[in-house]
Amino acid sequence: MAPSLDPEQLDRYSRQIVLESVGPDGQDRLLDSAVLVVGVGGLGSPVIQYLAAAGIGRLGLVDGDVVERSNLQRQIIHGIDDVGRPKVDSGAEFVADLNPNVTVETDETALSAENATELIEGYDVVVDATDNFPARFLVNDACTLTGTPFVHGAVYRFEGQVTTFDGTGPCYRCLFPSAPPEDAIPDCATAGVLGVVPGTIGTIQATETIKHLLEIGESLNGRVLHYDAKTMDVESVPLKARPECPICGDQPAVDSIQAITYEGDCAIPE
Amino acid sequence: MHVMVEVVGEDTRELDVESGATYADLLAACDVSPHEASVLVDGQPVPEDGEVSAERVEVLRVVKGG
Repeated sequence: MAPSLDPEQLDRYSRQIVLESVGPDGQDRLLDSAVLVVGVGGLGSPVIQYLAAAGIGRLGLVDGDVVERSNLQRQIIHGIDDVGRPKVDSGAEFVADLNPNVTVETDETALSAENATELIEGYDVVVDATDNFPARFLVNDACTLTGTPFVHGAVYRFEGQVTTFDGTGPCYRCLFPSAPPEDAIPDCATAGVLGVVPGTIGTIQATETIKHLLEIGESLNGRVLHYDAKTMDVESVPLKARPECPICGDQPAVDSIQAITYEGDCAIPE
Repeated sequence: MHVMVEVVGEDTRELDVESGATYADLLAACDVSPHEASVLVDGQPVPEDGEVSAERVEVLRVVKGG
């Protein structure tokens, strides 16, 4: 099919259309793509910013929180006038201002076992930009069971981790079968995070998403990238699937997220 | 048995462990709780209660924030 880009789109996306591995066909593909971003905070902000700028045709935003003043140090798509507003509304407005080619769908809700599969359905890629274990396990389990690729990111103080789980390698539960006890792992509110760290990790998540949609380069599937802002060291840690993984292993223990309780250790029932 | 333990993002420690030691023992020697990290042998996650058989392991801490 001939690319259907209009003159304005050819101009807007010219710097990536000129790339041999993108071209007008690749841009067409991005405009035909749909990406769900779960979490419109520190990671979600740069993810949404770059995916919208790149011309992803349909962006889904899921978050049940409202913008707080303490978010603004890192959640760069929200402004002072957005404090108190739903993050998904502020995010949708940001995208509308940046790129009218992008259709935004918002769900002002927390991901749950009741809504996760339905929310993920119809998207080509999901971005895990969440900040808590129940949501991370929900994204993993719902995406893995529905065969939806997802890009995981997480940040802590000066460090971040990022990887892609595309269904052909390990999943998040291969690495961490269950959540640690509550409060064993501090969140950004207690441990702190340098504002630019989610910027770096979220930008890599957006990069992985675009690469996956365009089928270019080598993804992080099968390795976890660890980034240390203090030393500027980046390490690629190999990660293989666990054959006994209850979600993606040889004999999965469940075929539906309804069988799992997403609280406490989020473990899969035996 | 001599084991090199790399805690990703931190440092690499050389440990001497007794026969029958588990990966949880390696984590304890590095002051890492088994709840906080996963042990990888050649990229393969191994159970914390498994007996140490590798001469080099990587420890990846779980990170929550977003």
